[in-house]
Amino acid sequence: MKKNASLVQSRQRSVRIAATVFLAPVILIMAIFIIYPIVSTFSISLFDWNGISKNREFIGMENWKMLIHDKVFWFAFKNNLTLMVCSIGIQIPVAIALATFLDAAGRKVNLFKVAWFLPLLMSSVAIGFLFSYALATTGGIITTFSQALGGGKVDLLGRAPQALYAVISVVAWQYIPFYMVYFLAGYGNIDINIYEASIIDGATRGQYFFHIGLPLLSPMIKSACILSLIGSLKYFDLIYAMTGGGPGTATELMATYMYKLSFTHFKMGYGSTAAAGMFILVTGFALMMQTLLKGNGSSNNE
Amino acid sequence: MAVRKFFVYVLSALLVLAFTAGCSKKSDGDKGSTISAEASSTENAGFGVSSKKMTITLWDIATEDPTKSTQESAVERFMAAYPNVTVDNTHIQNDTYKQKLIISMSSGQCPDMYIHWGGGPMNEYIDSGFAVPITDLMNEHCDVPFLEAAIAQSSYKGDIYAVPFGGIGGSGVFYNKTIFSKLGIGVPQTIAELEAACETLKNAGYIPFSLANQNKWTGSMYFMYLATRFGGVDEFNAAVDGSGSFESPAFQYAGEKIQEWVRAGYFPDGVNSLNTDDGQDRQLIYTEEAAMMLHGSWQAGSMRNDNEEWYVNNMDYFRFPNLASSDKPQNIVVGTSIGNGFSFNIHDDQEKLDAAFILATQFYNDDTYNNEQLATGRIPSIVGMGDTIEDHCMQKIWADFSSASNVQLWYDQYLPPAVGETHKNTCQEIFGLTKTPAEANAELNKAMREN
Repeated sequence: MKKNASLVQSRQRSVRIAATVFLAPVILIMAIFIIYPIVSTFSISLFDWNGISKNREFIGMENWKMLIHDKVFWFAFKNNLTLMVCSIGIQIPVAIALATFLDAAGRKVNLFKVAWFLPLLMSSVAIGFLFSYALATTGGIITTFSQALGGGKVDLLGRAPQALYAVISVVAWQYIPFYMVYFLAGYGNIDINIYEASIIDGATRGQYFFHIGLPLLSPMIKSACILSLIGSLKYFDLIYAMTGGGPGTATELMATYMYKLSFTHFKMGYGSTAAAGMFILVTGFALMMQTLLKGNGSSNNE
Repeated sequence: MAVRKFFVYVLSALLVLAFTAGCSKKSDGDKGSTISAEASSTENAGFGVSSKKMTITLWDIATEDPTKSTQESAVERFMAAYPNVTVDNTHIQNDTYKQKLIISMSSGQCPDMYIHWGGGPMNEYIDSGFAVPITDLMNEHCDVPFLEAAIAQSSYKGDIYAVPFGGIGGSGVFYNKTIFSKLGIGVPQTIAELEAACETLKNAGYIPFSLANQNKWTGSMYFMYLATRFGGVDEFNAAVDGSGSFESPAFQYAGEKIQEWVRAGYFPDGVNSLNTDDGQDRQLIYTEEAAMMLHGSWQAGSMRNDNEEWYVNNMDYFRFPNLASSDKPQNIVVGTSIGNGFSFNIHDDQEKLDAAFILATQFYNDDTYNNEQLATGRIPSIVGMGDTIEDHCMQKIWADFSSASNVQLWYDQYLPPAVGETHKNTCQEIFGLTKTPAEANAELNKAMREN
């Protein structure tokens, strides 16, 4: 007995040591590049600091009070929510449709697979440039069509409500390929026998999709929703390249606002508060979405 | 296999596309006149570069010719003259420069000498201890007769902190003289005449003003000129120091006038989505859809570079017209008198500071440098420099600048950074008619008071 116990003990110890050794680098990297920045963002948010000066003044929760009353921040948050709803509502259904088409049509349509994948390979800044020309009021594609049909010039990026939606559609153009590939991989994981069995049982393509394909894909759809949610709440680059948050603050997002506060307004303390606020909001939303989806998921399975 | 090959082709095509898109920004004018300017560097007894081995780190934004070669040659001549000094010169792209500088400062990696534009950000650098005062060096060891306005703009709280080297930048109205003479419009002397000219142009099917206001500072020029013509620099200064307000009549007038002009159709459609970095405002001028453009003096060089013959035959310049009803001085120029300045972050090494100072005053700002500047359409901030320039628009810009009773520095450079951003946003919303001038000015004033 005694010998056995010590054997168990020593095995446990050696597992523990091995685990520590193998995990140490990861933990170290996470601590330096993830945990430390988050902690320091929160601590900087308690200071009045321009980002470069040696003196920073501790002001407690002043920045946080200011953030809660900051109309621009909450307006930016609202824009983020719009972006989030539109992203999930547009990108995921379209991506499923494209993936289903590619999966059903098989090798014949490999050309489409390549073509539809391309937007994902371009850098956001290049896409931003491309579309600011395409959507330009003078000489842009939409304006040219409109003028050919006898309409006037169309100003998509320079006016308040439509600028946001114009940018949202470009974001969708950029990210649909990502989810398409994701769902395509999901289809790849579905056993071919299931498909064959359903066809033998007389299911139509539509029935197969709605009663077999979609339910089997649902875990992936859920994680895609969460990815898209987090992505849209912290979105930055394309907006920054295309409109810089303008006109006025019409397309300002939390991330672009945070960036401007920190680096162009010389308010690193307040910018960090915005970053920390954003962190809290994004985490909160992600957790909420996860529990919501989990609830649904378990009821479906049982 | 064929698919893969196709994939490779498409990808490489895309890469090339993205690459050329990134590189397609045109460089400014490359040739022009060679003019000899007066000597600016002489020997000072007992003052010079010591023979100690030193490395000076220098950051600038000269990523493109002609500024790149002009500035690099100054550094090369310096290093040839003083082989014991190494200048570690880093060029950083303009748009990301300010952010990189801030990060370098906060992480203790601030370069020894660095470029800036004066104004609010310069004051932040000074307040945070990243620029040493060079008043004594300037008074005793600098023979370059800088413009007084340039020195004033390099100063903060009574000390000089920067050596100017980028040249002046004014602003005014570039116009198509062919269109003007075809429609029988004379150069407008007053804002009322300007509006009459706009009406005539509008009726003849032209867009009166070409403006690309996605960048915000472009439209800000209209606001600054209108406010300055109405209230001089005093009203602005009062609004800044708190004895006045941005809700005062001059700013109200500026906002209302702009909206009046927007409603009258004096600006292109989608004005807030056009981008001046892509030259979309110049494009409207080149296609002769638009007749006038209020812009910075550097546009003269850009237009000459784009199409010299067309530019010389068609384009001319006039100063922003007077407001007849105002009793304030009407010859104020909106612009900058230093363009760029070098500040020094060298605290406890006098020999190194001297060396850097000599580089900034005797190699930048020497004859070779100034002639290269002039040849590319920039006028150094030095007395008498503009008298020899040959470009017809630049001659007028220089004349305006020299006779100006005052220079109103760009708001977004002068104001504290957060307030400058607010101004640019509210001004853009004035153009977009999404805020009334009263709302916009109240917001600007609030930002100023909170700062």
